[in-house]
Amino acid sequence: MLVPFSWLKEYVHIELSPDELAKRFDLTGTAVESVKYLDKELDKVIVGLVVDCEKHPNADRLKVCQVDIGEEELRQIVCGAPNVEGGQVVPVGLPGARLPNGIELSRAKIRGIESNGMICSKSELGLGEDAAGIMVLDSTYEIGTPLAKALGLDDVVFELEVTANRPDCLGMIGVAREAAAITAAELKLPSTSVMEGVRPAAEMASVEIKDPELCPRYEARLIMGVKIGPSPLWMRRRLEKAGVRPISNIVDATNYVMIETGQPLHAFDFDQVGGGKIIVRRATEGERIVTLDEVERLLLTDDLVIADASRAIAIAGIMGGGYSEVTDRTVNVLLEAAHFKPESIMRTSRRLGLFSEASARFEKGVDPNIVQFASDRAIELMRELAGGEVLKGEIDVYPTRIEPRNLTLRTRRVNAILGASLETKEVSTILSHLGLGVKPASEDAHLLKVTVPTFRFDLEREIDLVEEVARLYGYDVIESTLPESSGKRGGLSPEQRMAGVIAERLISQGLFEARTYSFMGPQDADNMNLPADSAYRNAIPLLNPLSEEQSIMRTSLLPGLLKVVRHNLYREQYSVKEFEVGRVFMPADGAILPEEKRMLGIVLSGRVLGYEWYDKEKGRRFDFYDLKGVVTDLVERIGIGDWSIMPSKDPRFHPGKSADLLIGGEPAGAFGQIHPAVQANYDLPVEVMAAEISHDLLIEGASLERFFEEIPRFPGISLDVALVVDESVTNEEIIKMIEREGGDILESAGVFDVFQDGGIPAGKKSVAYTMTYRSTERTLTVEEAKERQAKIVARLQKDFNAIIRS
Amino acid sequence: MKAEEVRSVKEEAIASIKSAGTVAELEEIRVSYLGKKGKITSALKELGMLPAEERPVVGALVNEVRQEIEQALASRREELGKSELKAKFEAERVDITLPGRKPNVGRKHLLTQVTDEIIDIFIGLGYRVAEGPEIELDYYNFEALNTPPDHPARSTTDTFYVRKAGDRPASDDALLRTHTSPVQIRVMEAAKPPIYVIVPGRVYRRDAIDPTHSPVFHQVEGLAVDEKITLGDLKGTLEVFAKAMFGEDREVRLRPHFFPFTEPSAEVDVSCFVCNRRGCRVCGNGWIEILGAGMVDPNVLAQVGYDPETVSGFAFGMGVERIAMLKYGISDMRLFFENDMRFLRQF
Ligand SMILES: [Zn+2]
Repeated sequence: MLVPFSWLKEYVHIELSPDELAKRFDLTGTAVESVKYLDKELDKVIVGLVVDCEKHPNADRLKVCQVDIGEEELRQIVCGAPNVEGGQVVPVGLPGARLPNGIELSRAKIRGIESNGMICSKSELGLGEDAAGIMVLDSTYEIGTPLAKALGLDDVVFELEVTANRPDCLGMIGVAREAAAITAAELKLPSTSVMEGVRPAAEMASVEIKDPELCPRYEARLIMGVKIGPSPLWMRRRLEKAGVRPISNIVDATNYVMIETGQPLHAFDFDQVGGGKIIVRRATEGERIVTLDEVERLLLTDDLVIADASRAIAIAGIMGGGYSEVTDRTVNVLLEAAHFKPESIMRTSRRLGLFSEASARFEKGVDPNIVQFASDRAIELMRELAGGEVLKGEIDVYPTRIEPRNLTLRTRRVNAILGASLETKEVSTILSHLGLGVKPASEDAHLLKVTVPTFRFDLEREIDLVEEVARLYGYDVIESTLPESSGKRGGLSPEQRMAGVIAERLISQGLFEARTYSFMGPQDADNMNLPADSAYRNAIPLLNPLSEEQSIMRTSLLPGLLKVVRHNLYREQYSVKEFEVGRVFMPADGAILPEEKRMLGIVLSGRVLGYEWYDKEKGRRFDFYDLKGVVTDLVERIGIGDWSIMPSKDPRFHPGKSADLLIGGEPAGAFGQIHPAVQANYDLPVEVMAAEISHDLLIEGASLERFFEEIPRFPGISLDVALVVDESVTNEEIIKMIEREGGDILESAGVFDVFQDGGIPAGKKSVAYTMTYRSTERTLTVEEAKERQAKIVARLQKDFNAIIRS
Repeated sequence: MKAEEVRSVKEEAIASIKSAGTVAELEEIRVSYLGKKGKITSALKELGMLPAEERPVVGALVNEVRQEIEQALASRREELGKSELKAKFEAERVDITLPGRKPNVGRKHLLTQVTDEIIDIFIGLGYRVAEGPEIELDYYNFEALNTPPDHPARSTTDTFYVRKAGDRPASDDALLRTHTSPVQIRVMEAAKPPIYVIVPGRVYRRDAIDPTHSPVFHQVEGLAVDEKITLGDLKGTLEVFAKAMFGEDREVRLRPHFFPFTEPSAEVDVSCFVCNRRGCRVCGNGWIEILGAGMVDPNVLAQVGYDPETVSGFAFGMGVERIAMLKYGISDMRLFFENDMRFLRQF
């Protein structure tokens, strides 16, 4: 809502400066989005008279003007506008002026001739779009006055943010009432006396409401013999400052009163109202109307229309029809002031995509009892501006009067909610300032009976009154306290703490946490190499997505993370190590809401290190074992006892370089190198290691319980063995064999070397293990250890055809 | 050996000790005088060959000389040891300006850091952390929160729907939650007061991606319901929060506002932590809006079966991205979701 200060001050006497008033508005709940000083931008722009205008001696298109700006001497100004002529009254920008378009003026020599200012165009002054020539002013403007003053722009305009609960502030009087309440000033309402003729309106026209639920009230007035023309300057300026384009005296009068009262009005060309009949009814099946904007609209039977004897002439509360609109030739006018049900207006306006100042107000709600005031005010303005005769009386159909609401308010309740200790009298005074009727209840001195006029229909409950008291009493005066409860015990749940441990561990592994959008597109399922029956394809679609790529809820974190990898690799980030913990969404059988699973996604791609001087594997890229290290370190750290891995069949991964993670024997996720086809689909320049594991299952299986294990007191003995075995023999098979043969004195066994090179026959590999033997009861002898080692080696030779290298 | 000879051996020994250049040379000298076959050792052995009256004199002298030589050796050894060690250290010197081997450690996402910081403050005030589904029923996201059926937020232009029965809102329409507030209802349905919870979470609005809009963003919601909770408690709680989050010097300002599910409601500003209320490019007028808050509407309390006459509550909610952007001077929301390593590494 744009509120010109000068207009507001007509209804309420305000001593505060505009800035002070804005602050007061802000702190009482009417947010001020801007305070615009209209004249500030036109500083040093003066009304001048072009006394003389001659061709520039050195330039064909320039003219040298002598301009009177009320100083003793004339100013010489070089002007390039084609329309400049002697005798024009023009806006003159003086050196030092900073124009709204950003140009700063200074004294200059143009083609050798001195120029002491600039004659400005509308566009340079921010007053219009016309940039073709200079702005020519009304010749009555006084030479030498500041332009802002001459144009009536020495004003301030507040832009107010009107919240959904305060539609009364969509009218100047509502804003004035609020301003009066917050500054404890008095409200002055304009007069509504109408100079009427003797002919009764009711003889010329009639009003019938067929649907009083959607239209509780309709009032018509008639004015005959008007002369259509422009409104006077003062009204045009006011409307412009309030953001409304002036059109003609009749239309401007309706808009002016709408801005003033918040009550939308409509003027019909009465001679186009068939039979002089106004019928408020629902549209008939298939009914059409061409609205003011020259668009034909198909109506539904839910839509409310204003019709004459034969057809719809307006969509109620939204827009008039072109056919009945006031034109230059209009002589007789029917003025509509009506009250419509907000829901109906909103529904129709949204369906048609048709929004107007009127519909904006009706859908938020208008005071049903302002109708007559607005109607009287507008019809009298029309008479004053356009002449003619106002017919006697109004045709006001208002079958069920909407009465003020009665509420009660307990002072105790006010204090309990605010944590304050107001007296009943203070509460009463605050509410009276808002224009509410307040009196103490006879039965209880601390109980107030409050009558809420219909202009504040947002006040429906006691709590609404508590809020009014709170905001006018001042949130700043309320004392700050803390809840006193004894029932508080803050902290994270074990699961929440475990989620923290998981994140911390991954971070200490060098991974950075990512957050990606929760959407994906159908093409991601194809890009991820998923078969037609894959569960990942069973995604929840959005009914109203923003784009195809973000049209379904993600069933996996990996598409998002692969896009992150690509983003980085193509931006000179050669080492990408990121993880995300986020939800994926799967339809749940028999339930409306889907199943939301929390997943952990990991991506490693590019170089392990940068080009550090100490890096002896310069440029080495992340491989399966880097990823496996991250995954297994995590599951060990969070104390998952029963986990294992097995070769994965997940089509998203390289079949030879991927594994499923099992927790308690159940699949919990997969990890490995992204399938080369997927890599290509996502346009990834190098291979990507990725994991997707159920975060829920990790937390379920995790345990931070630990028991102290005795530190060995006796020395251990470590022995190595290197062997050549078939390529297909796995580390796990060998370790299991070693452990079985090693018996009680084998403490641990681990692989410390794996290689295949020239010295090793094709199809074979060299592997080396170190075994540590120890007894918990005594110092083991070397002979005992060697004996056991020999047994193991013999077994390896036998079972794996191993050839011992050392 | 006669006394004079002993003395001259001493002179000779001391001189050679002084001129010895290395510890090894010194050791040779020691052996040649004090070793098994050394001159002094021999002199002692030869004492018996001297006349009896000379023996005590020469014997004493030899012992004295032996001690002097030992002393000279020790002090020269120490001298030589120091300079040899020094030379050794010099030879082992490294270039301390070469970069160190830094452990490769990652970071939490900035939004997680900010969320954790907020949660931490409220845990200190006795709150627990609650969460709820991201795909939510209309009932929890709107209806139970006192949102009128025709509220613009319920339109398909503002909110993502995954299930919608018709034009009119229905309780069992399913949508991507537009705020973390539905968790308020779920928490209250599941428990009786006192309730003190903080709710972090991902929320959705149907806004195209640009520097200041994102269809996905994050909020933290707070809810306290108990006997005798007041607007003063809300104010005090938010002051504690603002000081902990933005600095001890911060002031908090509540401006009346309107939300469907709280009444009275407020928008909450904190005094600018950049300019300290003088006014700057970040704040404009010295205050920065950081959250929305209010007293839980009695309708909402009644909806979950609480008696609004015996319990009251307050709720507040804030945007994590907004706070992160303000605190760290970030002007483009897209950075949070691009996950550029250069962004992630900075915080
Ligand atoms: Zn500032």
